[in-house]
Amino acid sequence: MDRRTFLIAGLATGFAPRAFAQDDEVVRMRDLYNKDLSFSDYAKSMEGRRISVQGFMAPPLKADSNFFVLTKRPMAVCPFCETEAEWPNDILAVYTKRTLRTVPFNVRIVTSGELALGTYTDPELGFVSRVRLVDSTVARG
Amino acid sequence: MKLTVTAALVATLSASTAFAQDLPQASSDWYTSAQALIQEKLAAQPITKKAKNVILFVADGNGVGTNYAIRLFDGQSKGMLGSENVLPYESYPYTALIKTYNINAQTPDSAPTAGSMNTGVKQIFNTINLSEAGVNKDCASEEGNKLTTFSEIVTGMGKSVGIVSTARITHATPAAVYAKTADRNWEGEAPEGCTDIAQQLFDAMSAGTVDLVFGGGSRYFAPKDVETMDGGKGRRIDGRNLIEEAQAAGMQYAYNTASFNALNLDGSAPVLGLFEDSHMKYEYDRADDDEPSLTDLTKAAIEHLSKNGEGFYLEIESGRVDHANHAGNAYRTLTDGQEFTQAVALADELTDDEDTLIIVTADHEHAIAFNGYCGRGSNILGLCMGIKAGQTEHSGEPLLGADGKPYTVIGYLNGAGSVMTEQSDGSYFGTRPALDEDAATDPEYLQQALIPMSSETHSGEDVVSFAKGPWAHLLTGTLEQNVIFHVMHHAVTAE
Repeated sequence: MDRRTFLIAGLATGFAPRAFAQDDEVVRMRDLYNKDLSFSDYAKSMEGRRISVQGFMAPPLKADSNFFVLTKRPMAVCPFCETEAEWPNDILAVYTKRTLRTVPFNVRIVTSGELALGTYTDPELGFVSRVRLVDSTVARG
Repeated sequence: MKLTVTAALVATLSASTAFAQDLPQASSDWYTSAQALIQEKLAAQPITKKAKNVILFVADGNGVGTNYAIRLFDGQSKGMLGSENVLPYESYPYTALIKTYNINAQTPDSAPTAGSMNTGVKQIFNTINLSEAGVNKDCASEEGNKLTTFSEIVTGMGKSVGIVSTARITHATPAAVYAKTADRNWEGEAPEGCTDIAQQLFDAMSAGTVDLVFGGGSRYFAPKDVETMDGGKGRRIDGRNLIEEAQAAGMQYAYNTASFNALNLDGSAPVLGLFEDSHMKYEYDRADDDEPSLTDLTKAAIEHLSKNGEGFYLEIESGRVDHANHAGNAYRTLTDGQEFTQAVALADELTDDEDTLIIVTADHEHAIAFNGYCGRGSNILGLCMGIKAGQTEHSGEPLLGADGKPYTVIGYLNGAGSVMTEQSDGSYFGTRPALDEDAATDPEYLQQALIPMSSETHSGEDVVSFAKGPWAHLLTGTLEQNVIFHVMHHAVTAE
């Protein structure tokens, strides 16, 4: 890559997040939960409204689905920590508007959707969630 | 003899002082503080009494490198530049480098490493407290190959035994105090003919070879799908509820901060504290009113066990320094590591060097590494800042790689933070993402790594043991990890 290409690429990379931030504030998973895993004031105030959350896409449970789990750190599977894959207890279930295009588990994404609070069991997957984003879109963050 | 030693000391002092007067550096703080340290060391005498108590502190995954990072993090959180900080155990009089490999593994895992410290012999990868004839996952190989643990030996001497861990209490390091198994993963279920680790703990508590446990992991003590008091669910398929059985047998049970605070610590009844269904929370994620800290647990354990006039053996593990390293998340590695240092400091305060051997060590290191050449005070979690002529502190300008991007002080050789990511055709390609100080010091940040892996790995690099108290002077040099058992054993049996 020559210097000129590098500069243009750098500008483009720098530009996208700023434009995004003007439209919609990007929050983190920790902004939705308190330490005791109760919902934060922010989460309660935004229930039913569209928000954008930064995180990582856990490897999808099912191909060609419109569902994935957003984790605050990449969903590492640690053979010496766990005897089997285990969800952290502070996750966000995401239902996407379109069929999901998988993003590698360690690439940061921003997902935007309508915030739903309260326990819900997915009728197809049986996945139990406490917080969801519905009608969501996904962008690399 | 004592008089001769004193006279020799005076002669040495005089010579040293006369020599120093001629040196231009003699008035430097570096020089004078080093001189003071030499005097302290000359005056120090090994303690050769029998040890009443032994406390073995293990920060899982806290090798030389990780411990260095904790030193800087702790120092910087106290307003220092970082490198000059001295962690509570780093001032102990005796240190050794410890070789951590397993019989059949150049890179060790936590089961045989902890087993070696608890039995005096190296063991096989993923097994706990079996002889070298034990075969991983082979239940039949347990028969005839079970070793005797330090906890059993000291129980025979009338001492109490305690185990504290922020991991599941059935996890490798705590299990090595009481369990003997062909597979460290048989935490709540084992093949026919073998006994799962949770049941082995219950049996040990019932037999009186373990008197107090604090940790996570209630899931392996309760029947499958049965809710536990900590908010989790049981996983035992044999239907036994070992928590209820323990209570029925007169043991005390705690599951959160309130029930922990209500424990009777007069030493009269065994204590089973299980505060999560899996591992306890990382210190950063923990809420005081939900579950106690490692320091709280350490204080309560010593209070309870010290009621035994014959003494105690207590193994205390900070289990999640390791887990955060596996995740490639230096933030939680260091916040859990700092909590570990505070637990050690408190244990030291609550005990007497004359009768308590304290060993602070780790089971293994990780694939953690450090970039250069950073100026003093570069945030250990953040970017490597340049050195500036004429000042001690860094320049405030991040150093750049040949790719024009800044880099963090800490990096990992492998793991989820890999800069190589999977492409749509399944191949891997990498370029380092741009980053700034805010992003790098965020609690969720994963330091950049090279080889893509879901979980960062251990490494075979040495760890340190820091020791004080009776016979601590035996822990010097470069030693095999199993020697730690022999020092503890000598300390409690010395005449």
